[in-house]
Amino acid sequence: MTEAQIIKTLLNFIVADGATNDDFNALALQIFAYQFENNIPYQRFCRQRERTPRTVRSWRNIPAVPINGYKDLMLSCCDPESADRVFMTSGTTKDGIRGKCYHPTLSVYDTSMITAFRQRFMQEHPKLRMGILFPTEQTMPNSSLAHYLTLALNEFGADGSRYLLTDDGLDREALFSELDRAVQTGEPYALLGASFSFVHVMDDMERLGKAVSLPKGSRILDTGGFKGQSRELELDAFYDLLEARFGVPRDHCINMYGMTELSTEFYDWGNTTCPSVKSGPHWIRSQIVNPLTGDELPKGDKGVLVHCDLAHFNCVSSILTEDAGIEVDDGFLLLGRAEGAEAKGCSMAVDEFLKAAQG
Amino acid sequence: MVLKAGYLPGIDDDAVEWQTLTYDRDGHAIEVSVPLLSNEQMQDLSERIKEASRQHLKSMTVSDITATIDAAIARLLDRNDTYRQQAEEYLPLITGYDAEMIRLGLTGYLKTFRQSELRRFIAEDFGNPKILDEFQPLPKGGYGKAYGPDLLAHIWAGNVPGIPLWSLISGLLVKAGNIGKVPSAEPLMASWFARIIAETDPMLGQCLAVVWWKGGDVDREQALLNQADLVVAYGNNDTLHQIRDRTPITTRCLTYSHKVSFGMVSKAALDTGKAWDVAHQVAYDIVRYDQQGCYSPHVFFVEQGGAVTPQEFAQYIANELDCFEEKFPRRTLTIEEASGVAAWRQSEEMKSFSEENASVMGDAGGAWSVAYSEAEEDLAPSGLNRTAKVIAVKQLDDVPARIAPYRAFLQTVGIAAAPEELHRLAEMLGAVGVTRISALEHMTAPEAGWHHDGRFNLLDLVTMTEVERSAETAAEAFSDYVD
Repeated sequence: MTEAQIIKTLLNFIVADGATNDDFNALALQIFAYQFENNIPYQRFCRQRERTPRTVRSWRNIPAVPINGYKDLMLSCCDPESADRVFMTSGTTKDGIRGKCYHPTLSVYDTSMITAFRQRFMQEHPKLRMGILFPTEQTMPNSSLAHYLTLALNEFGADGSRYLLTDDGLDREALFSELDRAVQTGEPYALLGASFSFVHVMDDMERLGKAVSLPKGSRILDTGGFKGQSRELELDAFYDLLEARFGVPRDHCINMYGMTELSTEFYDWGNTTCPSVKSGPHWIRSQIVNPLTGDELPKGDKGVLVHCDLAHFNCVSSILTEDAGIEVDDGFLLLGRAEGAEAKGCSMAVDEFLKAAQG
Repeated sequence: MVLKAGYLPGIDDDAVEWQTLTYDRDGHAIEVSVPLLSNEQMQDLSERIKEASRQHLKSMTVSDITATIDAAIARLLDRNDTYRQQAEEYLPLITGYDAEMIRLGLTGYLKTFRQSELRRFIAEDFGNPKILDEFQPLPKGGYGKAYGPDLLAHIWAGNVPGIPLWSLISGLLVKAGNIGKVPSAEPLMASWFARIIAETDPMLGQCLAVVWWKGGDVDREQALLNQADLVVAYGNNDTLHQIRDRTPITTRCLTYSHKVSFGMVSKAALDTGKAWDVAHQVAYDIVRYDQQGCYSPHVFFVEQGGAVTPQEFAQYIANELDCFEEKFPRRTLTIEEASGVAAWRQSEEMKSFSEENASVMGDAGGAWSVAYSEAEEDLAPSGLNRTAKVIAVKQLDDVPARIAPYRAFLQTVGIAAAPEELHRLAEMLGAVGVTRISALEHMTAPEAGWHHDGRFNLLDLVTMTEVERSAETAAEAFSDYVD
């Protein structure tokens, strides 16, 4: 298939309902063949694992690239120079190298985002007045999350929706005026942003003794965890605080799980209990594997997540994450990062060494 | 099955809160109760140990003490002894290490604490061991005597069986009262040893205790630090930093941090007749306790120009690791440990796509991996748990300069080289901070009396009291026989 054919097929696949397992599998294999043919580093990776489009018959066996592979390999089927947009992983990784995801067009990414966001976050609302606790797409042109939130605002934001962060940080006045307005008008309000931004905002509100009870139907979307950018909170404490500060019940606090290395996001149905069950739309599938062997684990066993995201067609669809999870009915529990453990003895582990060596 | 850890002389078991640690490996669940003392109980225990140390231990001779330790160690070496049998049965379940590896490891390790070895141990640090018993003439003039602290606090870490015995025995040899905090990862061995000491010599048994608290329980830790005359602590830099910060300023705190060790193989060892043996030795050092020790190797610098190339040698090591997996299978890893190994292996694989001749060998199940590189790579830890990197070098003499930036983390270097090379390299390695050089196959089994991290294990524990010559001379004037 050509790039144009892939894109057309994907756009149809995403908006169509009722895709079967076989449909997913067939398209996954076609996209795998496309990536194998058009991306030499990935082809080499697959050959080393002795898996090629000739031998792979199920999406489950498509070689999954470790997400760190984006830092070492050029994973793009199109000429990177011709890409419409590049999303880069956050620069906070230990070696400071940022992985790059090239998008020849954002049409697939956008359709994927919009379709799933409507189902999972907007639900009964065609539009909601929104406040975004994240920098704009102009400020962070290489951030997939900034693009995601811009899309949310442009596609689903009612009149008056706006960004609540400026270059100088939180626009507290704007935030409080939006919150107060929502309370006065009774119009449901949506607050979206990075998890750590919410922590900063709530710390600020606590200092000022501010708490509101947003109207029924209001909702919150947080994503990305705390990543050392704010104090670390237990998830239960975090959602309790959200409920207490904004008056949005935990079942309307949605956590989105996404990453630069994907073009599709996962959501839960609220965070009444943590960890919540995450699931994605019909064009992405996940497996829980043993990180060492790549073998799929029995349901209920803890392992790391592998995602096969058809929408991420230009790079690689199948990636091996560093996120720990457990398969459950209707999705998976996300258990945070499965970081390398410290040695059980007095030997030094990689992370500790890097930390110490960098002083 | 519930086992009991800890040893608390003079405190009634019923008076103490007990917590249960559960170890579940491969379907064999085992529970260990551990004592959690209140701050008052910790203070009470500390005072008791100090008093017993002053009253009893300080009046024993070093020979008496070594004899008691020797008798206790003999029981742990005796496969008919119940303590030894418990160690062989339960340590594999607690730590996950292969049973046969633990059995052989324990014997090799415990042998270094027999009486003759203990004497060697003391002689390493004290030219005249009697200085621990009574005032002895000093070369500079006058007299001196070495005193151990009344209360030496040990904060141990890790799951390598028996490691706590090093500092505990060191404490006893210098006549210190001891309270040791065992890690949850392996709370039993030190507890058993303390009980055997008490059974062998009940009075000496009053001079040591084994306690537990959950790592990070600052309150409990502080209670012990406040009482101690000297602290010996093991762990990562963050942990040690905190312990040192909380130790009262007048109390000395000796810290042993995590280390990286590596191996060096000269082209002299790479002829076709010898290389297989050397590879076997290398693999043994990797396999022993799955690289969890500070003396465990992560990297091997292998010299080019021998009959066997470094790349072939890496394959030999891979082959030997594969054989060892049959004999001493690696323990089952937690998901975090498996992720650590996977991340290391994947990152090495990624390099192999862009780097000429670089490769990664490993078995499908991930039980072991060997990475090979010819690039000018820096020293870095492996993914642990039987993962190692072979780095080809033009000559071994280039290695010391490459590792020099990592002085603070260096410990053991295992070397296979000809005598003149060995001595030349030793000179260079010592200068950049390496503290121990051993043969391959011996990296994880330091000899009796070794100087852990280059320090004097016993001397560091004592204070000297000196009677200067002036006091002696002045005393003469007040004698009965003065003219």
